[in-house]
Amino acid sequence: MIESILFAFFALTAILCALGVVFHKNPVHCALLLVGVLLALSGLFILLNAQFIAALQVIVYAGAIMVLFLFVLMLLNFRQDPSVLTPGAAKGFGFVFAVLVLVELLWTALTPNGGEGGGLQTVSALPADFGSPAAIGRILYTTWLYPFEITSILLLVAVIGAVVLAKRKFA
Amino acid sequence: MTTTMPPLVAYQILAAILFTIGVVGVLVRRSALIIFMSIELMLNAVNLSFVAFSRQHGSMDGHIFVFFVMAVAAAEVAIGLAILVAIFRNKETANVDDVHLLKG
Repeated sequence: MIESILFAFFALTAILCALGVVFHKNPVHCALLLVGVLLALSGLFILLNAQFIAALQVIVYAGAIMVLFLFVLMLLNFRQDPSVLTPGAAKGFGFVFAVLVLVELLWTALTPNGGEGGGLQTVSALPADFGSPAAIGRILYTTWLYPFEITSILLLVAVIGAVVLAKRKFA
Repeated sequence: MTTTMPPLVAYQILAAILFTIGVVGVLVRRSALIIFMSIELMLNAVNLSFVAFSRQHGSMDGHIFVFFVMAVAAAEVAIGLAILVAIFRNKETANVDDVHLLKG
């Protein structure tokens, strides 16, 4: 019962904040509303027994990535656009395609999974340390070791790329 | 514990709605920064989906995927915002309709 109430609260917060991100005029408000979405999702992650991911969500997304966004907003000093939406037919097409995407996703989500004996209808029993940093660390450094090491190269490339892009003067 | 929990399909529907809002943002907004934020929104909707399936199957591989998605998102934001700053320096705008350097 309490889980359902919390789910409804976080889901509603996430959807309302997400709508605010897309339709608000002021970019700073958009960024702050995006933080709201990220925090609501982190609450949902806790409901799903993913404590480590919830903590990462707050620290990495709401902390680091959003600070980066706000930093760029401050540096570039965006003026408020009078017309936030793209003009003309492109806007109409955008909404039509978005509705098509939503219909398709909902159709996929609501279709029963091919009569496989209800594999997705039953919730698997969880081990005691499900979603804890220790358990995730264990599989991250054994099963997923190579992807993890490659991620470090990706981040190094991103750091170098960001510095090069920010320094160079384009003609 | 398992009976009171919201069903998987509720999380899937929520993820679908959030993803669609992100799609709307990318398609109808013209500010490159807001488009970036909408992409983050879509990535987060997918993350929610991963974690919900992970919970359903009792396997933590979904959590690992979310971990990698976050790492890629961090790299993407760093590079993307650097490109945005470079464009703003040259053209004094972040409106994607005004950036058409590659158009002949």
